[in-house]
Amino acid sequence: MRTLIRGLRARVERRTRAWLKRRQGPDRDPVELHRRRIYILPTRLGIAYAAMVFAMVLGGLNYNNNLGLGLAFLLVSLGLVAMHHCHGTLSGLALRLHATRSAFAGEEVRFGLLLENHSRVPRPRIEVGLDAAPAAIVDVPPVGTVPAEIAVRAERRGRVPLARFVLATRHPLGLFRAWAVVHPEYAAIAWPRPADRSLPPPAVETDTGGAQDGARGEEDFAGLKPYQAGDSLRRIAWKAYARGQGLHIKQYAGTDVVSHVFDWDSLAGLDVETRLAQLCRWVVDAHEHGEAFGLRLPGLAIEPNIGTAHLDHCLNALALYEPGAAHG
Amino acid sequence: MAERRALDLRGLDGVLLALAAAIAAHVASLPPWVTLLLVAAMTWRWTAHRRAWPLPPKWLRITIAMGAMLVVFASYRTLNGIEAGTAFLVLMAGVKLLETRVSRDLTVLVFIAYFLLYAALLRSQQLQALPYLLLGVLLATGALMRVHAGAAGESVRDVVKRTSLLMLQAAPLAIALFVLFPRLPGPFWGLQASHSARTGLNDEMTPGDVSDLSVSGDPAFRVRFDGPIPPPVHRYWRGPVLHEFDGRSWRRARGQTFPQQEVVTEGDPIDYQITLEPHDRNWILALDLPTAWPEREAFRTYDFQLLSPRPVSDVTTFRLQSHVRFRAGDSLPVSMRRKDLQLPDEGNPRAVALGRDLARRFPQDPPAIVGAMLRMFREQPYVYTLEPPKLADDAVDEFLFETRRGFCEHYASAFTFVMRAAGIPARVVTGYQGGELNPLRGYLLVRQSDAHAWSEVWIDGRGWIRVDPTVAVAPDRIERGLIASLPENEPVPGRLRRDSEAWLQVTLAWDAANDFWNERVVRFNAAGQLQLLERLGVDEPDWRTLGLGLTASLAAFFVAISVFLAWKYRRPPKDWPARLHLEVARRLRRRGLEPEPAEGPVAFLDRAAQACPDLARDLAEIRDVYAALRYGPLPTETDLRRLKHLVNRLRT
Repeated sequence: MRTLIRGLRARVERRTRAWLKRRQGPDRDPVELHRRRIYILPTRLGIAYAAMVFAMVLGGLNYNNNLGLGLAFLLVSLGLVAMHHCHGTLSGLALRLHATRSAFAGEEVRFGLLLENHSRVPRPRIEVGLDAAPAAIVDVPPVGTVPAEIAVRAERRGRVPLARFVLATRHPLGLFRAWAVVHPEYAAIAWPRPADRSLPPPAVETDTGGAQDGARGEEDFAGLKPYQAGDSLRRIAWKAYARGQGLHIKQYAGTDVVSHVFDWDSLAGLDVETRLAQLCRWVVDAHEHGEAFGLRLPGLAIEPNIGTAHLDHCLNALALYEPGAAHG
Repeated sequence: MAERRALDLRGLDGVLLALAAAIAAHVASLPPWVTLLLVAAMTWRWTAHRRAWPLPPKWLRITIAMGAMLVVFASYRTLNGIEAGTAFLVLMAGVKLLETRVSRDLTVLVFIAYFLLYAALLRSQQLQALPYLLLGVLLATGALMRVHAGAAGESVRDVVKRTSLLMLQAAPLAIALFVLFPRLPGPFWGLQASHSARTGLNDEMTPGDVSDLSVSGDPAFRVRFDGPIPPPVHRYWRGPVLHEFDGRSWRRARGQTFPQQEVVTEGDPIDYQITLEPHDRNWILALDLPTAWPEREAFRTYDFQLLSPRPVSDVTTFRLQSHVRFRAGDSLPVSMRRKDLQLPDEGNPRAVALGRDLARRFPQDPPAIVGAMLRMFREQPYVYTLEPPKLADDAVDEFLFETRRGFCEHYASAFTFVMRAAGIPARVVTGYQGGELNPLRGYLLVRQSDAHAWSEVWIDGRGWIRVDPTVAVAPDRIERGLIASLPENEPVPGRLRRDSEAWLQVTLAWDAANDFWNERVVRFNAAGQLQLLERLGVDEPDWRTLGLGLTASLAAFFVAISVFLAWKYRRPPKDWPARLHLEVARRLRRRGLEPEPAEGPVAFLDRAAQACPDLARDLAEIRDVYAALRYGPLPTETDLRRLKHLVNRLRT
């Protein structure tokens, strides 16, 4: 019986969701929540409030007590005013995607949203979440913006779409919940989950230094260079930092440039996902050790380099690799 | 953990305040232990919240809840009815406080506060209840907002302001609902009579009692006369008639009924409308003697009391007719004569002797006996006082022959006693005497302090005759009221003292406001609704008119609040430079130029100047003035005017 009800509920919910999506159509960034797409229902507290007020009206009519009736009608009216305020808090709110944060498969990718309030009235207690249960509650200041984040668990590598999320509010009295469903076309990238450290990285190609900055190497200390975003944290000259000279990285000179090239073909005989996972492991480890690395995939070659931008480039290539395209 | 609890219980202080306000109206009528328990629970919860103490375990909470329910049931014998229900609610609030962890629990407490407010209004609908109601709703709703507003609810001032605004926005619809919501002609389930003691006349008189009532300035009832207001000497308002005397107290003739006696009226009838304050008794204080009354709302007893079939527990109005000149009764039935001659078997021997002596001196001449008794009061040193000495066993004897100081009921009691001893059927009538005209709204106000007692004696051929022995002692009591009738050196209770004319005006205005409130709000009913609609110009209004009006006001409310909110949440207008830039862009569209999404005004105007050489000079100036207005150190009004001029001049 209970499973039947649950099944029925799930079906109704699926239908409603599909209908809602058809009704609204897809949303294009930036989204402004027009009042016609905001839904509102009493919360459980709101229903309890209604029952209480109903009892008060009945009692007032029965006892012919006008002051009691007056209180009941004031509460009825307050409830309705609160309903409109609840609706108004959400209506006209705008939002845009301002950043996505990638993650490995099995972890959560994050969508950074920016909620914008064009009006001079604050919009407090906006709940942001994938579902009815809010992931975050933010207060949007008047004529201002506030960031909010939605996390989506990435089951496998590739593009993770944010197909649907909900903005809601129970402001001001908690008696009503107004909500709006957004169907954006946002997507974040989930990288392959790195394999275990069982397979050692392939032998280092030592003499690819020509492709790089000649002054770089691993052997001899050659001086300090100001830190730039993307430089390996392992090379930061902490002593210099402690002396108050700011963030610098140590530079080394020498011919022995460590530079890996991780090649798809070196992993022959394994299936696609295992190969990608292994490549991912090597890439991540090489970056962590501050080593330069390149990547070869069928139909794609990334020259060895260092830095987080390079790392992201390589990881994204692994994430979005499509075997059919490579072989065809 | 402590931090989370603090976060979850945001607004606890507001909820406690709302509860305290809601319970304030009940403190006087609740058993003290109930109030004490709630105060203890509130104090404990607050301290536990500050100190992060753990809450009591579940079994303890359940035990306390069950215990509270049992105790309430044991002391009230019911959980139904206003008193028991209130006590139960208050205790439940206390128990709920013990388990309050999350915002939902706080919301339940706020709902209890609303209900306690409601119960307070069921108990009393006086004018003072209105500000209390508004304040209570403000506090409870503010508490609700504080619980649900998150960080926005942190500033108390802000919450109070926003709650008041919500209430202001709610007021018009609330008033429309109040006026238009159809009222029932009568209750649809039984009324639970209130057991609370209210001031008013008792159905028993022990000399010494009425003087407690006399110091109360509360209104007893208000009367509107259709014609002229009868003079003070005729303003006797008839209450319970007392027949049985046990030596100390006079009582009604309970369980006995006697045949109705015929009343022959003389003179013009007096038509009036009397509005009683609730006193939880059946008597309607009609002007002596009621001769016409609404058959279904009242009836007249054999001793000419007008009674309501139900206790008057709300402000109630009756339309009545009385005659002040009448002959009450042709002949006295034997059973009634026996009743009104009854005296206790022993006690008060000197008063009995006095009666017998009078009967001997004036055989078969009751009027002479009455006159002799009144003369005795007038000529001997009797004193009219609000603070009579306490009387011992033979109260009548002691009063008549020793203390000689008394209030109206001492005189009425002694007079009636002596009349019976002299063989004249006599009874005590209690009620009110007098009344004060309120010129502001043209009604006569009768206060509790106007309570009075007098006698009626039976004289063959003349029927029941009213004799007010107090008049013999203090003639001013009737003409000028109680205070004026007191001898100069007699103490006047503080509440009755009126020292200035200004204060008198204030009390009159206050009472007029109360009268308005009773007429227009408390007693507003189905008939009042239709009358109001008629006055608003609706022809033959009925319940359909009410329904239509309700629908219309709801629709108007929805439109008004939607428009208001749309206005409130509107985008602020763009500033002038931005608007002018948009205007330039609109004009340049005719030349096929449009700003790119990432192109700022300056860059766009540069590009436009290159594309349209004929406008290049103007566009360059627009760009410079715009930049000066936007980013310059000292944007001036002249710059803005120049920009407006340039933009308007732009021909594309």
